[in-house]
Amino acid sequence: MDCKTARDTLPLYFDGELDRAASREFEAHLDACADCRAALIELDALRSTLRRDAPRHAAPQLLRKRIEKLAATETSATPPTLPRRASGSPPRWLAYAASTVLAFAAGGMAVSLWDSQGRNTEPAQASATAQLARDLFASHWRALAAASPVDVVSTDRHTVKPWFEGKIGVAPVVHDFAEQGFALVGGRIDYAGSARLPVLVYRHGQHLIDVFVLPDSAALAGNAGNLQSGYRLDAIKLGDQNAAIVSDMDQTELAHFAQLLNATR
Amino acid sequence: MNVTATAAPGWIGELALHHLDAAYNLGRWLLGNEHDAADAVHDAFLRAARAADTYAGGSARAWWLAIVRNCCLARLETRNKDRRNISIDSAANDDGDSARSAVEQLLPRSEANEVEERLDQAQRRALIARALHDLPQEFRETLILREIEELSYREIADVLQTPIGTVMSRLARGRALLHKALVGTAASEVTHGL
Repeated sequence: MDCKTARDTLPLYFDGELDRAASREFEAHLDACADCRAALIELDALRSTLRRDAPRHAAPQLLRKRIEKLAATETSATPPTLPRRASGSPPRWLAYAASTVLAFAAGGMAVSLWDSQGRNTEPAQASATAQLARDLFASHWRALAAASPVDVVSTDRHTVKPWFEGKIGVAPVVHDFAEQGFALVGGRIDYAGSARLPVLVYRHGQHLIDVFVLPDSAALAGNAGNLQSGYRLDAIKLGDQNAAIVSDMDQTELAHFAQLLNATR
Repeated sequence: MNVTATAAPGWIGELALHHLDAAYNLGRWLLGNEHDAADAVHDAFLRAARAADTYAGGSARAWWLAIVRNCCLARLETRNKDRRNISIDSAANDDGDSARSAVEQLLPRSEANEVEERLDQAQRRALIARALHDLPQEFRETLILREIEELSYREIADVLQTPIGTVMSRLARGRALLHKALVGTAASEVTHGL
């Protein structure tokens, strides 16, 4: 590991976000590099100072009592039947919409990337696309460095699809292409802007491939491969759904995989 | 949308009480005073109770803190609109000096030493509090969630409703800014272990 990579990895190591193998690799560099050791010590000093002198404000007893009382009354009451619940359980998308509305109404600032894209002028759209690309790359790299690149481990599409449906109310098309050399590893959920995206994770030889399922309104400009530090970002179609692949595969492998995905319904 | 209170599932109460200190601490650092922080947490509980069905897995603590944060931001917004006095913890403005001289006059030497140690701590705390309050909100909240509440990157991303890459860059920038601020002030003060 060179020093530049180590510098990028240092906060991840310090914050316990690296898996064991990556940690060991980093520690090997640390043994040999006094600069990185000093940087690590600096981070640690700052943390100690904060933990010692930025006291965690404990909730006042009065507040605790208030919440306890609220919790007791709110939970002991028999649940009133809501009109909208009358016809069975609400559709999945409603829970998803509600969470979006909640974030939106309360924050007032969480204007989603997708919403602004359609309406904005050209430069704004270009920068939104660039931001989306950055988010997808960051998500992929972080997943590579993390203990596990997936939240749900499965080689079975019948597990992955309902898992997404339960978590975020959307069920992307999931297929396993193990026979063609692209094995389904599992799935996870990541953010791009303020939107939660389903990510399908595949493995092809040594390559880990992230397939980000994008909302209908989002599109990455053009099909041209976007390159960053040896990783490619490519806009593809997952059936009729917009999606993006981030991986370090070469173009031929990628084209093959994109074709497989595009053929799925 | 139906906003009348519905019965919250028991887990909401349990969750909120279990992470009440975390919620209140976040509120204190976002809003700057006890009263607003307590009210924001109260609002957050009511909202969480109504929105229990929006919890879609993942860290429940992050889900709860995201609601708390949204309530704090809503409060900040009305406060800024009102343009009334923005209250900041009095501790952040009190560097302990006036208290120190009063103590020195009133107490015999040995006891004054002991009190002085405590005042040093008060002074250090005031210094950090001021440095943190001076940070832009996005760095302050990210630092509090990571260093004090010890949330993972993923949880912080869920609380802030932002990509992990943004969490990482805010954390790096926030740490650098805070370090700079503290080193700057420490140079003119007695040692702070920095």
